[in-house]
Amino acid sequence: MSAAILTDVTKCIGCLECVAGCKNANDLELDTPRSWQKNDGLSARNWTSILRRADHHYVRKQCRHCLEPACATACPVGALHQTDKGAVVYDSNKCLGCRYCMMACPYGIPRYDWDEPVPYVRKCILCYEKIKQGEQPGCTAACPTGATIFGDRDELVAEAHRRIRENPGKYVDHVWGEHEFGGTSVLYVSDIDLGFLSYAGYSENRPLPETTALAMKAVPFAFVGMGGLMYGLNWIIKRRMELSEHQDEGKD
Amino acid sequence: MNRVQNTKTVLWTITGLAAAVGVTRFVFGLGVTTNLTDATPWGLWIGFDVMAGVALAGGGFVMTAIFYVFRRDRFHPLVKPAVLTAFLGYLAVIFGLLFDLGLPWNIWHMIIYWNPHSPLFEVGWCVMLYTAVLLLEFSPVPLEETSRYARVRSFLLKFRFPLVLLGIMLSTLHQSSLGSLALLWPFKLHSLWYSAIIPVQFFISAVALGLMMVSLESLVSHWLYRRKPENDLVAGLARGAVWVLAVYLVVKLGDIIASGEFGLILAGTWESYLFIFELLISTIIPLVLFSIPGIRRSAGGQWTGSAMVVAGMVLNRINVGGLMQVSVAGDVYLPSWMEIVISMGVVSTAALAFLFAVEKLHIWEERPSHPESDPVQAPQFDFSSRVWLGGPLVAARTRYSVAFILAFAVGFAFMPEARIEGRGVEQVGALKARGGDTLYVDGNRDSYGAVFDHARHVDSLGQERSCASCHHMNAPLDKHTGCWECHRSMYTESAAFDHDWHTSPGGGNIKCDLCRTPGLERTKSSARECRDCHADLTVEGAKVAVDAYVAPSYVDAMHDLCVRCHVERARQDSTRQAMALCPACHVAPPAEYIRPEMRGNLPTRDTRPVVMPAPSLKHEESPR
Repeated sequence: MSAAILTDVTKCIGCLECVAGCKNANDLELDTPRSWQKNDGLSARNWTSILRRADHHYVRKQCRHCLEPACATACPVGALHQTDKGAVVYDSNKCLGCRYCMMACPYGIPRYDWDEPVPYVRKCILCYEKIKQGEQPGCTAACPTGATIFGDRDELVAEAHRRIRENPGKYVDHVWGEHEFGGTSVLYVSDIDLGFLSYAGYSENRPLPETTALAMKAVPFAFVGMGGLMYGLNWIIKRRMELSEHQDEGKD
Repeated sequence: MNRVQNTKTVLWTITGLAAAVGVTRFVFGLGVTTNLTDATPWGLWIGFDVMAGVALAGGGFVMTAIFYVFRRDRFHPLVKPAVLTAFLGYLAVIFGLLFDLGLPWNIWHMIIYWNPHSPLFEVGWCVMLYTAVLLLEFSPVPLEETSRYARVRSFLLKFRFPLVLLGIMLSTLHQSSLGSLALLWPFKLHSLWYSAIIPVQFFISAVALGLMMVSLESLVSHWLYRRKPENDLVAGLARGAVWVLAVYLVVKLGDIIASGEFGLILAGTWESYLFIFELLISTIIPLVLFSIPGIRRSAGGQWTGSAMVVAGMVLNRINVGGLMQVSVAGDVYLPSWMEIVISMGVVSTAALAFLFAVEKLHIWEERPSHPESDPVQAPQFDFSSRVWLGGPLVAARTRYSVAFILAFAVGFAFMPEARIEGRGVEQVGALKARGGDTLYVDGNRDSYGAVFDHARHVDSLGQERSCASCHHMNAPLDKHTGCWECHRSMYTESAAFDHDWHTSPGGGNIKCDLCRTPGLERTKSSARECRDCHADLTVEGAKVAVDAYVAPSYVDAMHDLCVRCHVERARQDSTRQAMALCPACHVAPPAEYIRPEMRGNLPTRDTRPVVMPAPSLKHEESPR
């Protein structure tokens, strides 16, 4: 089973129960608001947040748990990695704190313990310990209106399409997360456009790891190629110098 | 004092300043020393110390390629300094990286935890290996000082060409892979800098930068030690740089035109101006200067051109490494003075190590006369005590030490108090409640709402320090804890319904079955509604109306429903005066909830004499 979350923006009343549920489930400490949280409310101690949009629309922001996560590709030591359940989780024992994962995430999800002398990267881990035991994550368990639900990804994609089909005109005809960046485990249906969830509204269906895959594949060829080229050039130059020396000798 | 001593004093001063910042950074963390945020997690330290640092140290592989592979023997005087610069440069990159990494003691983890898909993993490994290669390439120079290690030295020299080859191969990889890092950012990096062939661009520019860095270093060190200039060699490097820069310009502009983004250059945004500026000083102007043989051979032209390329390419790395993402990230990032000081300190330390090496080792064809033991120098005295500082060498060392210690102290003195106390990251003050003192809360926007009296909550919960009791887990602005967080239990002071009081004699000894249907589970849904009993308590003029569709605030509701009758009753019956007093309902409030004017006038729990008026409870068939 591939764990997933479906959030229905039309059902969310902005009560922040999911935020509280997340804090309880993951035992997160109290937060001190930072300037950048004005944008989306996420921080090292706030792994999910509710964005208020115009006309009483509330959009929950959390880690999207991409099927091909850019953060896990970026991490040089594999501290961020994908589990068999689809959750992208973090191993603080491996992390060296380079923060390339934070740079790589198109949704800007991973956050840092800036004030700690021993800082870690923090983000939603889809309550991996809970879903392993068959429970649901803290946020979906806390939601009083069923706006955000937990389940199998294929079923939730089907459910999302069913809702759009059965309520013509109510939703934008798009399931956010079905294809974006190769698909994400956290899906949205909405009556407003949710492009603002990613940086500058950027969206493409190509998984981000593919952007570096070509360059990474070229690495061995570049390595051997440059070595061969340099060796070959050196051989030719040496040979020509020898020949010209012989010619000089011949002249003498 | 001569140039060298002055320069070293400046370098030691910067190093001392940086040492103070470095201590702060490791004791209190990144938030205290940097202006980095969650939205801009990479800043000057990655852009300059690492991305530009690696490229600046590219002179090593370029010069070894020119000398050992292409056999341009006349450049021999420049090879050893270039290898030394590269070696120190890579050490400086690793040293600088230690400041930026959150968990620097885990830097070796790349050796045991592998993620070969990560470009950073590849860069890390290449930098590690290449630093080792540079150590082996360079170590014959210090080994030359003593004959004891002659065999080790000759053994190492046997492997010089394979080492050079390996160094070039590793450099090709990581110089370009530093560009591959940016490939993951199509959503973030400005289109003028983002390119599918950015690894190639990084490699070409690293070659150009390497050539120009070696030139600049030659010019600076010859100015510093008043040596015979190597202008003809620098001119040779400049001639090579013309070709490299031309290729770079074609690749860069060609890529932009091919992807149809040429319009962005002329867009007139600050990014477009910065791009034009970067391209002008890094490539176009030096290209033009160096194409003219007269300028190429003149010292002034060489200084100008090489300094421009170095500055321009460093700017390019800083732009790619972080600056060009600011506009997208939605948060402002400007490096703090501490970040700048650390970056300068890392460079200064490397420069001091370089000067030490060229004075002590056989780096140049002829060693510089030891600047600190210049016999012509006038004796030096301490400026305050007028004590002779000893010979010139001792005097110089005293001066460096004083500069370092003084700068270290000044660094701490100038550190803002908040930084020393470990409060680095800006904390956002709470804003006034939107909508004033009274808010209308209608979460599910079905127009059934509740009036929330924010001002009274602030008052009764303890003024400003109470904010956190509701806003503790949330972002700034107007997000809040749900009402039920406090008003949910039937058994707390803040409860809307005091269950225990209702069953007490004071509350009328209500029996369970009056509110509960026997046999049903006792939940909220199976209980009778309050208004079934309390219908007659909705008094004239109360803000509370049963079908008003607006629930009043808790305080308004209770006071309207109860207090009016209490006051009326107390007026009628002189034995029931206490009914009108606050503690009739508010049982022993916690001390922090008591406002100053309430103090001294507070009856205790014993004085709570409330008896509900009997008739109201009989209204079971109220006309509702």
